[in-house]
Amino acid sequence: MDNINVLIIEDTKAESDALVKVLNANNYNIVGIAPTYKDALDLFYNNKVDIVVIDIFLNGNPDGITFAETINVVPDAARPFVFLTSSTDRKIFERAKLTQPFSFLMKPFNELEILYAIEMALEKFYAQNDVFLSDEEDTVISKEYLFIKKGKSLKKVLLNEIIYIEVEEKYCNIITEKEKFVILISLTKILNLLDNAIFCRTHRNFIVNSEKIVEIVPADNLILLSGGHKATLSDTYKTIIKKIRTLK
Amino acid sequence: MTKLHFLIFSILLSVSISLYAQQHNRDSLFQFEIEKKTTEFRSEIDFKKAHLFYQEKNWDSTLVYSMKQLSSTQNKELVDYCHFFRGHSFRTKNLLDNAKKEFNSISREFKFYHKVNINLGEISLEEKKFLNAISYFKEVETLIKNNQYVYKKSNVILNLGLCYTRLNKYNKAQEYLFKSKQMQEKEKDTLSIIATNINIAILYFRKRNKKQAFVYFKQAYDLSKKHKDFDSKRRTALNMSIFEETNKNLPLALSYRKEYEKWKDSLNDQNKIWKVAELEKEFAVKQKQKEVTVLEAENKLKVAERNKLLYSSIGLVLLLITGGYFYREKIKTNKIIVAQKITLDELNATKDKLFSIVSHDLRSSVNALKTSNTKLQESLETKNFTELDTQLNNNSAITNGAYNLLDNLLNWALLQTEQGYFEITSMRLFIIVEHVAYNYKALLLDKNISFENTVGKKDMIDADQESLKIILRNLLDNAIKFSNENGSIKVYSKSEDNNYCNLIIEDTGLGMSESTRLELLKDTALLSKKENEDIIGTGLGMQLVKQMIHKNKGGFNIESELGKGTKMIVSLPKTAS
Repeated sequence: MDNINVLIIEDTKAESDALVKVLNANNYNIVGIAPTYKDALDLFYNNKVDIVVIDIFLNGNPDGITFAETINVVPDAARPFVFLTSSTDRKIFERAKLTQPFSFLMKPFNELEILYAIEMALEKFYAQNDVFLSDEEDTVISKEYLFIKKGKSLKKVLLNEIIYIEVEEKYCNIITEKEKFVILISLTKILNLLDNAIFCRTHRNFIVNSEKIVEIVPADNLILLSGGHKATLSDTYKTIIKKIRTLK
Repeated sequence: MTKLHFLIFSILLSVSISLYAQQHNRDSLFQFEIEKKTTEFRSEIDFKKAHLFYQEKNWDSTLVYSMKQLSSTQNKELVDYCHFFRGHSFRTKNLLDNAKKEFNSISREFKFYHKVNINLGEISLEEKKFLNAISYFKEVETLIKNNQYVYKKSNVILNLGLCYTRLNKYNKAQEYLFKSKQMQEKEKDTLSIIATNINIAILYFRKRNKKQAFVYFKQAYDLSKKHKDFDSKRRTALNMSIFEETNKNLPLALSYRKEYEKWKDSLNDQNKIWKVAELEKEFAVKQKQKEVTVLEAENKLKVAERNKLLYSSIGLVLLLITGGYFYREKIKTNKIIVAQKITLDELNATKDKLFSIVSHDLRSSVNALKTSNTKLQESLETKNFTELDTQLNNNSAITNGAYNLLDNLLNWALLQTEQGYFEITSMRLFIIVEHVAYNYKALLLDKNISFENTVGKKDMIDADQESLKIILRNLLDNAIKFSNENGSIKVYSKSEDNNYCNLIIEDTGLGMSESTRLELLKDTALLSKKENEDIIGTGLGMQLVKQMIHKNKGGFNIESELGKGTKMIVSLPKTAS
């Protein structure tokens, strides 16, 4: 599991320092602190950023909103973001609200509030509301990553690194090349959200990354995966064989 | 001599014609017949009218309507009656030729054809065409001989006698005249008898039988004396005078002449009197008319005056009513204004009070910081590090308090001016409580107050996040403020019903009296009184809480027991699932 990359756009050093301190303490990775709109764009395009924390007012101008508007225009570049503001000025809010999905945090804020705001921004951005705070789920799935809540903070796992997923009731065992862990998510939801061209169901309880398949042994109902992992292939899902062949 | 004759004759002629004119209309049989005809031809309005005007002797109108009737009807009877009316009308208007024409167009079958003959005869007589007259009268005479009905037959006979006299056929004239006299005596028609006597006298006079002439003149004269008719008196007197004059008996002639003059005068007098009476009557009528017009004018004036009075009084009443209405309106608005003034004054007083309290609080806070900072410096100089820590803690507590006050002040101002961002969204109540409580961790620890957040994790409510945080911050602040050391604060939720979720902040602190509780729940903008300078603040926080809850469409209640603790209950709308 990797830490989440955060870009901070904030012109007041004291505030950015406090923010960095809190986020670092919660295992977030700060990729940069941009005091201006230009720096922000530079940092944003030169780093892999998972989420942006934006102060609305940079040197007295609402450049934070401009930044959000800019990254929102390019669909693939868009990332979740949180606005920070010390003003509840209605006009500014009306403008900021147009940059959907809209999350904001009033200054001053405490640790819980900023962590919560980041989680909410992520949920809203990937349109999977009410995940991290509920008891039933703890994972938001994007095209590239699984965002998993671990304790107070968030972690991410690259989907490409997943070898297979074994479902056990409402839990899912995620097996990657490096590690093995459990997430809370329903089977139907994970099946819906994963790219079914890559992730195939081979069994009632198995979802396999087709790119990690080494060998299929239909006689033994077995799929050999990279790293020596094995997955079961049930009769119901044997059509996968054809699919794999056509792929290769 | 011839001159004399002429005079006498002209008088005589006029006598006979006037007789006719006088008595014509009294022919009851003729009238009865016409009445019958009018009822028979009821629909012929023109005929009816012509008859009506004929009876009223309005000859012009008679002519008009009879003409109309003639142009519209073919009925022979009606045509004859109409011609008769016209003929008679023309004759009375002395248009003899026209009269003759009309009479001649009447058919022989006309029931009263003898009247036509009489009329024609009399017209001829007037024109001195005696032979013609005789032929007309003769025709009537044959009717009389056959014992048929003829009105005033004696007149016909008299007229025949007259004609023969003029034609100098004295024998025949004598015969007719005497016959006429005989008939008139039967009819007891004095005036006719007088006329006949005169005519007989003239006959004898022409025959130079003066003796006989005198007898009849005298007879006529005597008869006229018994009669009221001035005209007969005048004529007989004149005849006597002329007669006596021819006899050269001048004094007698003179006395008769005088008598004649007298009758003439009295006739004139009568006429004059009539005229004067007429004039007087006219004058009286005019006078009356004048009076009437004067009265009318007066009446008009009175009516106008009365109307003026009426309208002006109505106007006055209206003016009074509108005046009263506006006066009442004014009083009403004045009342409203006064009420508004009172509330405004109250609000202004509140604001002033708020200002003084806030500034007082801030001043004391900053003052405390100042003294604390001096102490800090002293501690640093003496390197008393253990003291330093408590002093710093003290400082942060002071700034926290001041910050909260300022925050409330800002939020209150934003609330008043409606400038703040406000958006109701769905959220987990538990998380928000956690977030707010996080800031009070140090304070709670400091006072050694145990804190529990047992709000249901699944409780979703609809609220504006920031204002909800302000509410919670203030309530928690109060709970901590009024809690003793080692106390406990519990925050938990209770589902009120399907629509509302109650959030309860319960402390084991000082509690409050019932009056304070009610005071706090009051919806007034007034700040609560300070009972205890040290721990009771401005009341701004509670005010803000109530207004924010109201804005979030929630409810607020307090349960408290003095010395045991307080429950602040906030009802918030649940998110509709």
